[in-house]
Amino acid sequence: MAVTVKEMDGAALEQLVKTGAKVLADFYSKTCGPCKMLGFVLNDVAKEVDGVEIVKICFEENSTAVKAHRVEGYPTMILFEGGAEKARLKGLQQKPLIVSTIAG
Amino acid sequence: MEKTISYTRQEHIITRQARAEEALLSQLDAGDYTPQHPLVQLNPYFFAPLCALVLFHTVTPCEVTVRVLGKEPAGDMVHRFPRGTRHVLPVYGLYPGWDNQVEITLENGEKSRLSIPTGPLPDEVPQATSIDTTAAYMGDNVMVLTAAMAATPVAFDYRGDIRWYSTEKLNFDLKRRPGGHLLVGTERFVGMPYYTTGVYEMAFSGKIFKEYRVPGGYHHDHFPMEDGNLLILTQQPEAATVEDCCVLVDRDTGAILKRWDYKKVLPQDKGGSGSQDERDWFHNNAVWYDKKTNSLTFSGRHQDAIINLDYDTGDLNWIIGDPQGWPEEMQRYFFTPVGEDFEWQYEQHACMVLPDGDIMCLDNGHYRSKDPAHYAKAADSYTRGVRYRIDTEKMTIRQVWQYGKERGAAFFSCYISNVEYYKDGHYLVHSGGIGTLDGAPCEGVPAQMKQGPDGDRVQLGSITCELVDDQLVYELRVPANCYRAEKLPLYYAGEQAELGAGKVLGSLGITGEFDTPIPAEETGELVPAHYGARLVEEDDRFTFSATYEKGELVQLLLCGEDGSTHRYFINTAKQSFKAMCVGTFQKADPRDVDKVISKEGLSGRYQVKLICDDKLYETGVTVTA
Repeated sequence: MAVTVKEMDGAALEQLVKTGAKVLADFYSKTCGPCKMLGFVLNDVAKEVDGVEIVKICFEENSTAVKAHRVEGYPTMILFEGGAEKARLKGLQQKPLIVSTIAG
Repeated sequence: MEKTISYTRQEHIITRQARAEEALLSQLDAGDYTPQHPLVQLNPYFFAPLCALVLFHTVTPCEVTVRVLGKEPAGDMVHRFPRGTRHVLPVYGLYPGWDNQVEITLENGEKSRLSIPTGPLPDEVPQATSIDTTAAYMGDNVMVLTAAMAATPVAFDYRGDIRWYSTEKLNFDLKRRPGGHLLVGTERFVGMPYYTTGVYEMAFSGKIFKEYRVPGGYHHDHFPMEDGNLLILTQQPEAATVEDCCVLVDRDTGAILKRWDYKKVLPQDKGGSGSQDERDWFHNNAVWYDKKTNSLTFSGRHQDAIINLDYDTGDLNWIIGDPQGWPEEMQRYFFTPVGEDFEWQYEQHACMVLPDGDIMCLDNGHYRSKDPAHYAKAADSYTRGVRYRIDTEKMTIRQVWQYGKERGAAFFSCYISNVEYYKDGHYLVHSGGIGTLDGAPCEGVPAQMKQGPDGDRVQLGSITCELVDDQLVYELRVPANCYRAEKLPLYYAGEQAELGAGKVLGSLGITGEFDTPIPAEETGELVPAHYGARLVEEDDRFTFSATYEKGELVQLLLCGEDGSTHRYFINTAKQSFKAMCVGTFQKADPRDVDKVISKEGLSGRYQVKLICDDKLYETGVTVTA
């Protein structure tokens, strides 16, 4: 099992969510220590999960997506499935919680 | 070139105190100390510079009376010690920067006098700007104010003269056990904004009898139960939320006997005050046990709510607060106001249950609404002591007394502060968090604004009042923010020196580790000097401190001799807090971060290393657990 963590912009995220796929979107900032740490955690998570797209959305560069999804701070992870938000994790989290959130 | 970062090995204060006391007693027993020529040790326990121990022998057993001469006769501090031949006498109530005269009187009438000079007050100890009361009213009592800012705890007599202070950052509530010992939050910081290891049981001499440590840390308040066990406010260690748990701690062992988690009975996203956020959703700032109803009453600032739980089951009995914004299924817990001049409390502190079942609290009045569109400006706000009468059958509430509204914004504290009940009609109302910016009431927490860019323009204030039948009989003004006020005598009845080593009880818990490693280049170099890295190792923990750039990725590593690696994430993001009840631990440079790691769960020797972004640095320090 493994997936790849991809960087994408807000428009691409909307397209991906609309397909109904399971998507874990990480809204991050390049100037945030916890976001950097979460990047390594997600790389680790990606090795253990399947059937999910893990994507990173830069908070500062994607204000439309940030507003659309009411992201108030970073890092924030939103799990989408069937085109809708299923779960939200705010702040830096460890691998087990993220894996279990993805598993539902 | 330096081979290690700055490293300090610090003994626990209890260990240092025990050694110092032992040395002093050895000196007493080896010498020829008499009432005329006693052994005198100022600040014997390092915590209280206005206390001395006076030690001597008498040939025959006798009682001894010690009198610290006041600046006028009414200022004398007097205490009689029990009969004996080996006299170890804590002397309280010395004046700072003063050649104190102390009179020793033996039971047979023999008198001697000694001089105990003291050093000047440190700058951080706030002095009274005014006091209005009488010696007759205060008697032997002093007013102890605990700190909300860098100011340390301090006690004022009837003239406003300082008669006790601590050089340590003893925090939050200071109260006296029925037996006489003091209970106060420790100065041992564990995490921002103000969490410390637990509670000290101590004397005004500074002698610590016990440290009650709790995993998750201590904040705001504690309450001694009739059997001596302690209720301590805390939180689940490493949890996503804070200030939402209370534990019952065994007075002898420090073991946690019982726990109440308010998340089990309250929604965390409803009924929020203007200061609520997801992490600090309740902000529990007071606890009270009522024997008659076998219930616990807690104050939650960030829900504008005083809640009452069944002691045994933890079930919610009732909520005092503005019910607006709470879900329908919770409305049955709220009271309906009856009578005239009723007002709810907002962001309150210091709830208590009075002997007749009335509920009293300090209504800070911050925002004074549940509706953001109607939040009150500081200039229109007021803080008051308020007493409510509740009928838990009819679920009605009546306001039966208040003091403070009439004083308007000049008495407004958006945070901290307390009330005390002495008897019906006799109350203390302490508004300890007053702040002005260029003379106008601060729109924000004064402790935070003082540390901000406009800090020089912020003036802090604290006004402590006592009333008898609505007549003001005491008013103390201090140019600092002070968490609580507590009136009590320095000596308790029958007090004498209690010798022997104190005990460190309870547990710090295991510090949460971070599973994910960070790939980093091993530099083989010491942490660069610009980080200002330093490590203080204690018996039960160590604290690693350094100054980072915002957004730096930092992980501390403990590399064991057995090949194990323990990883601890260090958050370098700017943290914002909507409450700063005790700003004592705020640093001038917010990039300067302390990481406290408990030694529990660790065993052996560990090299301490630091990853900053993609570089692994050495500290040259090995810690032992």
